[in-house]
Amino acid sequence: MKKVFLLFSFLSIAAFTVKAQDTVKTTPDAPLVIYGSVDTYYKYDFSDKGSQIPTSFASDHNSVSIGMIDLGLKKKVGKAAFVGELSFGPRGQAQSIPNGPGGDSFHIQNLYVSYDLTDKLNLTGGYMATFVGYEVIAPTGNFNYSTSYLFTNGPFQNPGVKLTYAFSDKVSLMAGVFNDVWNYYSSVKKVNTFGSQLFVSPAKGWTAYLNVATGKQSGTEFDLTTAYQLTDAFKLGLNAATYSAPGDNTGGFSGVALYPQIAVAKTVTLGLRGEYFKTKANSSEVTYAPAPGASVTAVTFTANIKAGPLTFIPEVRFDHGSKAGYIVPATTGTSAYQVGFYNHDGNPSKSAAQVLVAAVYAF
Amino acid sequence: MKTLLSAFFVLLFSVSAFAQKDSLALDEYNKYIYYKTAEQPGAVADTLYYRALSFLTKAYTKKELKLVKADKGGNALNGSGVIVINKKNFFGGSSEGGELAYSIKIEVKDNKYRYWLTDFVYQPYQRNRYGNSEIMHGKDVALEKASEKLSKADFNACINQVLVSSKQVGDKLKAYMLKASTVEHHDVKKVKRVSTKEW
Repeated sequence: MKKVFLLFSFLSIAAFTVKAQDTVKTTPDAPLVIYGSVDTYYKYDFSDKGSQIPTSFASDHNSVSIGMIDLGLKKKVGKAAFVGELSFGPRGQAQSIPNGPGGDSFHIQNLYVSYDLTDKLNLTGGYMATFVGYEVIAPTGNFNYSTSYLFTNGPFQNPGVKLTYAFSDKVSLMAGVFNDVWNYYSSVKKVNTFGSQLFVSPAKGWTAYLNVATGKQSGTEFDLTTAYQLTDAFKLGLNAATYSAPGDNTGGFSGVALYPQIAVAKTVTLGLRGEYFKTKANSSEVTYAPAPGASVTAVTFTANIKAGPLTFIPEVRFDHGSKAGYIVPATTGTSAYQVGFYNHDGNPSKSAAQVLVAAVYAF
Repeated sequence: MKTLLSAFFVLLFSVSAFAQKDSLALDEYNKYIYYKTAEQPGAVADTLYYRALSFLTKAYTKKELKLVKADKGGNALNGSGVIVINKKNFFGGSSEGGELAYSIKIEVKDNKYRYWLTDFVYQPYQRNRYGNSEIMHGKDVALEKASEKLSKADFNACINQVLVSSKQVGDKLKAYMLKASTVEHHDVKKVKRVSTKEW
């Protein structure tokens, strides 16, 4: 009996000691933070002719496929901070970042350092996710799993140096110089893309970002990204942008996307993305946008169902273009490729539809 | 045997008492409050007022804690601050889950002072495209209602960190009130000089 009580006493002491050591400790400097996500999905395109809708990610038809594992490290000591974010997988390599000169992936999504010059002025430099647009590469940053045309056709990364001045919690201005071309680890020749972002918060729960990126080689994109948490349950987002190709090329694109979302339960939010996107005439033909001079309207219904750090994302999407699909014939140095949609019978179509379910775990 | 049993219950009671020594309370408006009074014999109200003022302006960065109102006539000071709520992740490290804004009031009298932290408002973070955590605008919720919006684990983490951080703020205030502040600059000219030639 004595032995049992002794054992129980020691166990009790040990338990309380462990409990005491589990309390939160704070230090003057932020700890090294490890963050990231993993995502996987299944998609079915109703044409059963491969993936018709040119979403940046979720590219595989009738396949259980992977997105990426995203691993980030960050730390801030005093006024100095760094972020290093690595990614592995289709979404985190060829689908979102460039290869290095040798053709191998650097796996870098973000790699930058920053310094608070004053309480209000911050200097940041390195390889950074673009400041343009509503949607992002990391699946944890988007409500919808498939991506908008505006996202897919806009910049993904803008390496450079930028200064951000916070006038208040409600207004800040960023200005910087970035490499001459988007989505490359290094410039082709110069650091001559100018970028700026004005952030304003006109009302509680309302944020708006006015962005411009302009350069001789990268072209000019004006972008408005705004979101308003109108009630505790209802949020409305908007993204509008227009892009003009560089030089004498009069091509580019324009588009607008609306993102209404409503929380129907503590763990369930339903959302819709309605997008209109038009490729300007004289643009080059590409697989991820409508034909030059043509447009597309895309409607995406998405649910986010949360179970702790895990989010299930069922989604159905309908795209309708102004022009049926066609094949651009092969030329010297390029293979034939498809622009627009084809239906289940293999005939050119103006419409396409897909359904997917994704799972995203954030840590 | 009786001695052993007694010792065990004394141990259990003392640990429970320790756990309950510091806790959040609800004030007359049903708001969470961390309330403390402290005796400081020999310190007049004027001295304590300026030490409290020094605490609110120097103890933390302005983002963490700032002076909102200084009422010399009323021997009272108001400030507002922010506590970062960390979430433990599966690597054993921690990531920011959100922040709690709070207000602090300090009142002084001769030989004593009191302070309280209240008006806790939880603002969840989201990770932005640069890997940084930022406030989710429009999602702030008073701590009193946070249990309706947060998971049980997140809410418990909030309450735990409010208590721990409030105690840390209180300890730092105490150090300032005792003038044991570590922010005093080291003045080389005032360092005592000794000679090693004679002893």
